[in-house]
Amino acid sequence: MVHNAVAGDRKSDRPARTALAALCAVAVVTLAACTNTAAGSSGSGSGPLTVADLAPFTGPDADLGPTYLASCFGATRAINAAGGVLGHTLNCKSVDTRGDPADAVPATRQMFASTSNLALVIGVTSDEAASVVPIINANKTVVFSMTGQSEFDSTHFDYFYRLVAPDLDESYAMVAIAQQKHYSKIALAFGNDIGSQTFVRPAIGAIKKAGMTLVDNETLDLQATTFRTEAAKIVAAHPDVILTEALGATAASFLSEVKQLNGGTMIPIIGTSATIAPAWYSSVSGAVGASTLASNYVADNLVVQSTGPAYRTFSQNLLAEKGKVGNTGNFNTYLTAPGAVHLYDGINLAALAMTEAKSTDPTVFRPLIEKIGNGVPGATVVTSFAQGVADLKAGKTIRYVGPGGPTNFDSFHDSTGLFEVDTYDSTGQVKVVGQLTPQELRALAG
Amino acid sequence: MGNGIVFYLTTLFVYAGVDILACLGLSQQFGVAGVTNFGFIIFQAAGAYTASVLSLPSDTADGGFQTYLGGWSLPFPLPWLGAAVIGGLLALPFTFLVGRRLRGDFAAIGLLVTAVMANLLVNNYRPLFNGSAGLSLVPAPLQGKLDPQSIGYQWAYGAAAIVLAILVYLFLRRVTESPYGRSLRAMRDNDTVADSLGKNLVSLRLAMLVLGGAVAGLSGGILVGFINLWAPSGWTYAETIVLFAAVIIGGAGNHKGAVLGALLVPLAFEELTRFIPPFGPPGLIPALQWVAIGLLIVVFLWLRPQGVLPERRRASVRFGGPPTATDSDDTADDLVLPGVGQPARTEPVAARPEPPRQPERVVLAADRLTRTFDGVEVVSGVSFGLRRGRLTGLIGPNGAGKSTTLMMLAGTLAPTSGRVMFDGRDITRLPAFRRARSGVLRTFQLASEFKRLTVLENLLCAVPAQPGDSFHGAVLGRRHWQAAEDQAVDRAEVLLDQFGLTRYANQYAGDLSGGQRRLVEIMRALMAEPSVLLLDEPVAGVHPHLAHQIGEQLVRLCGEGMTIMMVEHELAIMDEFCDPVVVMAEGQVLAEGTMQVLRGRSEVVEAYLVG
Amino acid sequence: MSLLLASLGFGLVTAAVLAVASVGFTMQFAVTDVLNLAYSAVMIICAYVAYAVSRAGISVWFGVAVAAVAGALLSVVLNRGVYTPFQRRGTSPIAIVIVSLGLTLILEFGLQAYVGGNNVSYRVNQGPSLHLGGLQLTVVQLVIIALSVVAMLSVHALLAFTKLGKAMRATAADRSLARTCGIRTDRVVTTTWMISGALCGVGGSVFALDAGSFGATSTDLFLVLILAAVFLGGPGQSYGAMLGALVIGIGTEVSAAYVTPAYKDVVAFVLLLIMLAARPTGLLGSRT
Repeated sequence: MVHNAVAGDRKSDRPARTALAALCAVAVVTLAACTNTAAGSSGSGSGPLTVADLAPFTGPDADLGPTYLASCFGATRAINAAGGVLGHTLNCKSVDTRGDPADAVPATRQMFASTSNLALVIGVTSDEAASVVPIINANKTVVFSMTGQSEFDSTHFDYFYRLVAPDLDESYAMVAIAQQKHYSKIALAFGNDIGSQTFVRPAIGAIKKAGMTLVDNETLDLQATTFRTEAAKIVAAHPDVILTEALGATAASFLSEVKQLNGGTMIPIIGTSATIAPAWYSSVSGAVGASTLASNYVADNLVVQSTGPAYRTFSQNLLAEKGKVGNTGNFNTYLTAPGAVHLYDGINLAALAMTEAKSTDPTVFRPLIEKIGNGVPGATVVTSFAQGVADLKAGKTIRYVGPGGPTNFDSFHDSTGLFEVDTYDSTGQVKVVGQLTPQELRALAG
Repeated sequence: MGNGIVFYLTTLFVYAGVDILACLGLSQQFGVAGVTNFGFIIFQAAGAYTASVLSLPSDTADGGFQTYLGGWSLPFPLPWLGAAVIGGLLALPFTFLVGRRLRGDFAAIGLLVTAVMANLLVNNYRPLFNGSAGLSLVPAPLQGKLDPQSIGYQWAYGAAAIVLAILVYLFLRRVTESPYGRSLRAMRDNDTVADSLGKNLVSLRLAMLVLGGAVAGLSGGILVGFINLWAPSGWTYAETIVLFAAVIIGGAGNHKGAVLGALLVPLAFEELTRFIPPFGPPGLIPALQWVAIGLLIVVFLWLRPQGVLPERRRASVRFGGPPTATDSDDTADDLVLPGVGQPARTEPVAARPEPPRQPERVVLAADRLTRTFDGVEVVSGVSFGLRRGRLTGLIGPNGAGKSTTLMMLAGTLAPTSGRVMFDGRDITRLPAFRRARSGVLRTFQLASEFKRLTVLENLLCAVPAQPGDSFHGAVLGRRHWQAAEDQAVDRAEVLLDQFGLTRYANQYAGDLSGGQRRLVEIMRALMAEPSVLLLDEPVAGVHPHLAHQIGEQLVRLCGEGMTIMMVEHELAIMDEFCDPVVVMAEGQVLAEGTMQVLRGRSEVVEAYLVG
Repeated sequence: MSLLLASLGFGLVTAAVLAVASVGFTMQFAVTDVLNLAYSAVMIICAYVAYAVSRAGISVWFGVAVAAVAGALLSVVLNRGVYTPFQRRGTSPIAIVIVSLGLTLILEFGLQAYVGGNNVSYRVNQGPSLHLGGLQLTVVQLVIIALSVVAMLSVHALLAFTKLGKAMRATAADRSLARTCGIRTDRVVTTTWMISGALCGVGGSVFALDAGSFGATSTDLFLVLILAAVFLGGPGQSYGAMLGALVIGIGTEVSAAYVTPAYKDVVAFVLLLIMLAARPTGLLGSRT
């Protein structure tokens, strides 16, 4: 392979120089880590604070990182406009985990090393949560995580908070929607990634409990590019509805093939809340047609407000930051996307807790997150950071209720709200078309 | 936040150790032995999964949110040991891919496809290792006794990774700098020739796959103990490309280069880019990062294929140590071979031996050998015998089937039908390397020196039964094989002297002139002390004066009892030295006898004239 | 039974796409001796070229033609700019494979940096689903099959009946011998890059047409299928690649119908490994 042997030979007389180069490389890494931090820590008295979006920006789940970043831009904009937290302005920083735990660990460690003014971590999906949550917790930094994984349903981490639904509840919610619509023959088509496969087992259990029939269950390989045989099997099983989540190009290819093989008519689909995302909408509507999608698609989602003062502040601030996260499709979808709404609430909760505690030290302000989120008897409800700061100054106790609705943290810091049913209209706007009661979900739980 | 830096630094140490281990394993396979393993990452993955299931409790213990094989809760360091063992054992099923039959680049493609598919399989088949979610909550080593998140533990982990990397470096150096390592490098430079010198290619390649796999497995075990999670997204085939980039940039074949590459590419390059302030749409920087890795590979292979730290030339102190640059510049030209002849005269070269009175025993015989290519019979029913102590010539026009016959005698090509007999035994089915070990050695028509071995190393490579020329012997160390090595160098010194190449002993054989390389090849064959030597056009392109010297040497060797066959176009050489001479034409033996007799036979003359 | 027939039909479509791509790949390898793994990257770039055409409101079928031209140009540029200089230096085949891997990263992620990470679809009406004796195919799928058959017949005619085809076969068999026989091998090699590049472009755009939705890294796994088809038929054997594509195409879809679809591509891999172990020269390769 190496053919230029003579040239190589002469250079080999200088191993010292190249070894030096190696040393330099290591030194540069170390230095880069140190200087960055040194600069930061000197200004930690009154300088800006950083909210880190630790999530996949590349790989199959690359849509997730930008969604959370949009949320961060919106929330910090609102907070900075109200004077910031204890005089500090907030800024956002993206940290790419590539959806790979082996990349996520050094990325997280590097984030801590290079961000001396780190105030809060958001993001942390199922791709990396299991490897990085223990690290974040050990660093005593508050994290609002997006994972629905069951292991966090009953594992306690002091600094771990979750405002999104556990995957179990979401599985029940999808089946409950099918029940409401009186479907009886159900097919499942989920991507082969963990984020999607986690729904399959509980959904099958709930389908049984609801007395419906599971007619087919297909696993979609996200790396494959056509799913004709899978689609044919589903069509041949004649389901009333398909429950689905498959991200990336898969959903678009698969659903267009279902439509084709079903003689040009779409079979109704129920998606997870992750399908409420601009990237999902733009690729699927492109493949099956916007109006077809609008008339055949619903998804479960945690109840989020679409009117009222909390929503107004949220939407104004988010829309003002439009364009900062690149061209990912219809930006308005973010106003309903769970990642955007709930992390916006998380950032506000943390910022209010800091303000009330008069400290940015997580060991000090952390307990107040629960207090402000769950509220205490007699607390004044506030819908935005600005309002909360004003009321705190006035000496009131407050409870924050944002666009994601009221928060109810349990002992594991999980808060699950009510579920609603969403769809896209033919222009791609998300609209609410139904509600689910807690009783409906409980009846389906295994 | 001071702790933040410390934790990051310790993380860098652990990743440095892991990356160095991986690059060393790859460098041993690719740089030293020439085995291109595009599936390298699956060995690291196997180690990580093994360490995980060895240290995890049974999968029902954590509320059953993940499923996996095993779950034995074994204490440290058993998971790491298991990782290395399974990483090595995983190589065994790939034996067929690295055998003699498959071209190196085809085998590489096979391994690449295997890597992609293994990832797909683990991703989709949940009961194995929990599918795409991977295994989480993998216990850190000694988790119950120590606090994995404490600074002391983190430093200790980083130190352990680095120490293991150093130990593996020393071990691999010991293997590579032994006669066994020389055989590996010979195989890398030219596997067919190594085969013909008695090197068992399948065993060498398999040993490298196992060794590299064990090192990769260990690196996976160390990594998973640190990040406590292992999933298919962490071992896509692209990770193998990053390691290849590292080894190529650092310097393939030089373990120091592998270490440097590991520090430069997976560590420095990947980590430094984390400090770049974000620009452009999300995903732009990582995409550009991949483009940069691709560019690094292509640009380095073009501008500096030998890497930043090229493979060191192993110069022997006995021959003046490392030669100076000027030495390599005045490479002598074919026609002026300094010193040839004079030293040979000081050694009493026996005069041409008297023609023997009675025919000697037949040592090697072709028995109705036939070979077809695509239905065309190139050799048909060729039979002749080589007698002990005779220098037999094989002549014939182009396309007569001389080289094909030689290949079948040496075992580099299997006959379609017919037999090869050696000392009365049927060796038709014996592979080339076994024939070489039993004393039947061939040389090649085209230049076949090991280019990136010195002349001396080329010679030493052929020494049979060198105790250090096995994995076991290499591991036992220098004391085990140095004595044999010294003796071999003594013999090589005499040969170098006879052929007048002493001053080139420390040159890369690939840098010599064409004629010198032919000499190296003949000397190398002689080092093996064969009982039968099959020479394919040994004096083609060699100055007549030198050719004459070679002829004299060969006759002398015959006088000492060696049996030699020589395929040659040069009739002058045949006239002078060979007896008998076999004439072939159109795949058949036309005649056999002394040149005087043959010149009198019209069909022979005709065959040459027509051919 | 109906599922078997349906999956056979789908297998034909997959095989049709695979055949166009595999024949180009194997022809490239046979004549130029380059195992060009960047082939899949060129494919997806061509798919985006056709996408640009379809975005401009022009028929996607015209886009396929433009993609063919783009593929031919890009392949010739790769050869002239990278592969030939490396080969002239005597770089070993395996090092050239590594170079092609590097090129894959450059082209594919260069494309991703340019077009972003989103997935796109052609604007094309799939046409009605036709039932043909149990096969269930759309008009577009039938056109893809027809296109592939035409491409295969053209390749056959080229190799069997034209002077260029004979020169290509001679160059593939022994380049230096071909040169001494008066064949201008440099010109033959360049022409081969052009023809195989055009096949690559057509392959890329029909791949995207068939996939429904695609992104910059969509052809990664498809490359493995191409390699499987090529090696199954015998590397360098054009007819072997056609046969290999047929076996892999139908094998993967039928196994998706009867085993779980998640492993359908693993079937291609198992077939390939068995072939490499039992008969390294492939179904139609010579035995030496």
